[in-house]
Amino acid sequence: MILLQMLITFFKIGLFSFGGGYAILAMIRQEVVISNAWITEAEFMQVVAISQMTPGPIAINAATFIGYQKAGIIGSLICTFGVILPSLIIMLIITVSYLKLKKLPWFQQIFRRLRLLSVGLIAAALIMIMGNAVQDWYSIGIFTVCFVATWRFKLNPFTMLISAAVFGMLFGSG
Amino acid sequence: MLWRIFLTFLKIGAFTIGGGYAMIPLIKREVCSRHGWITEDDFLDGLAAAQSCPGPIAVNISIYTGYHVRGKLGMLMALLGTILPSTVSIIIIAMLFRQYTDQALVKRAFTALNPAVVALIAVPLIQMAQKSGLVWKNAWFPLSVAILVGVLNVSPVYLILLTIVYAVYEAHK
Repeated sequence: MILLQMLITFFKIGLFSFGGGYAILAMIRQEVVISNAWITEAEFMQVVAISQMTPGPIAINAATFIGYQKAGIIGSLICTFGVILPSLIIMLIITVSYLKLKKLPWFQQIFRRLRLLSVGLIAAALIMIMGNAVQDWYSIGIFTVCFVATWRFKLNPFTMLISAAVFGMLFGSG
Repeated sequence: MLWRIFLTFLKIGAFTIGGGYAMIPLIKREVCSRHGWITEDDFLDGLAAAQSCPGPIAVNISIYTGYHVRGKLGMLMALLGTILPSTVSIIIIAMLFRQYTDQALVKRAFTALNPAVVALIAVPLIQMAQKSGLVWKNAWFPLSVAILVGVLNVSPVYLILLTIVYAVYEAHK
C-alpha cells in the first residue's frame, strides 16, 4: 500500500515541479517531510547534499534515495518511475504540438507567470532549510564562504560540496 | 541507432553532476554538433518546452530529443540512458549510507555540508530572479509565494493551479 502511495506522491511531485531542480525541492519537502513524514528535516538536507554530489537531475536522485530509504530497491524504482511519468506524458504531447501552442497568448502568459512563481519556490526552499542549517558562527562562516565562491568565483557545486565535506570532517564537531 | 541514442544519453547522464542545468550544454554538444541528430533551432525550441513543462529539465529535453530522432522508441532509450546512471549511483550510495550515517565522521561532514547546501540554493535563486523578469512592481508575487510555502507550509500545488488559472484569465481580459 505504501508503494502505491509513493507512486502517487512522486507522480504529483513530477507533475507540479516547474522551473527545474531547485524549485522542485520545495515541492519534494512539502510532500515527503510535511504531508507524509517519510523522512525528517535532517534527512532531507542529506538528500539534497547527496543529490548534488552524484550524477543526474536532483528530482531523480531524491526520488531514488527516498524510495530506497522507505522500501528498498523496489521503492526507489517506483518513486523514480512516478516522478518521470508526468514528464513522459506531457513532453510527448508538447513535442508534437509545441510550435502551435507557443504562439497562443494564454500559453505564453502561463509560463511568464510560472517563471516568477518558481523564483518564489526556490526562495521558499531556502527559508525552509536556512533555520536548520545556519545557526551559529561556524555555519554562518561556511555559508558565506560557499556562497561567495559559487556566486562570484563560479566554483562548481560538486567541488564546493566535496570541499565542505572535507572541511567538516576535519574541523566540525559531531 | 537506438543503441547509439541510449549510449549517448547514458554518457550525458553519467558525467553531469549538479543537476539539470549543468546537463544542457553537454546534451546540446552531443546531439547537435557531434551526432547532428537535431538542428540547433529545433533543440532550442525543445529546450524552451523542457523548461516550461513540469518535471526535471534534463529528463524533458532527453524525451524531446529522443522522440525527434527516432520516435517513441528513441524517446524511451534517451530517457533510460539519462536516468540510469543517477538511479544506480543513488541506490549504491543509499545502501552504504545506512551503515555509515551514525558514524562521527559522516556527522562531522554534514555540519559543513548543511550550510553549503543553503549556499547552493541561494546562488541559483539570484540567477533565476535576474532572468525571470522580476522588477519592484511584481516582486510581491514571488515574495508571497516564498512566505506561503516556506513559512506557512502551503502546498505549491494550489499556488501553481491558481497561477495557471489567473494567467489564462489575464490573457483573455
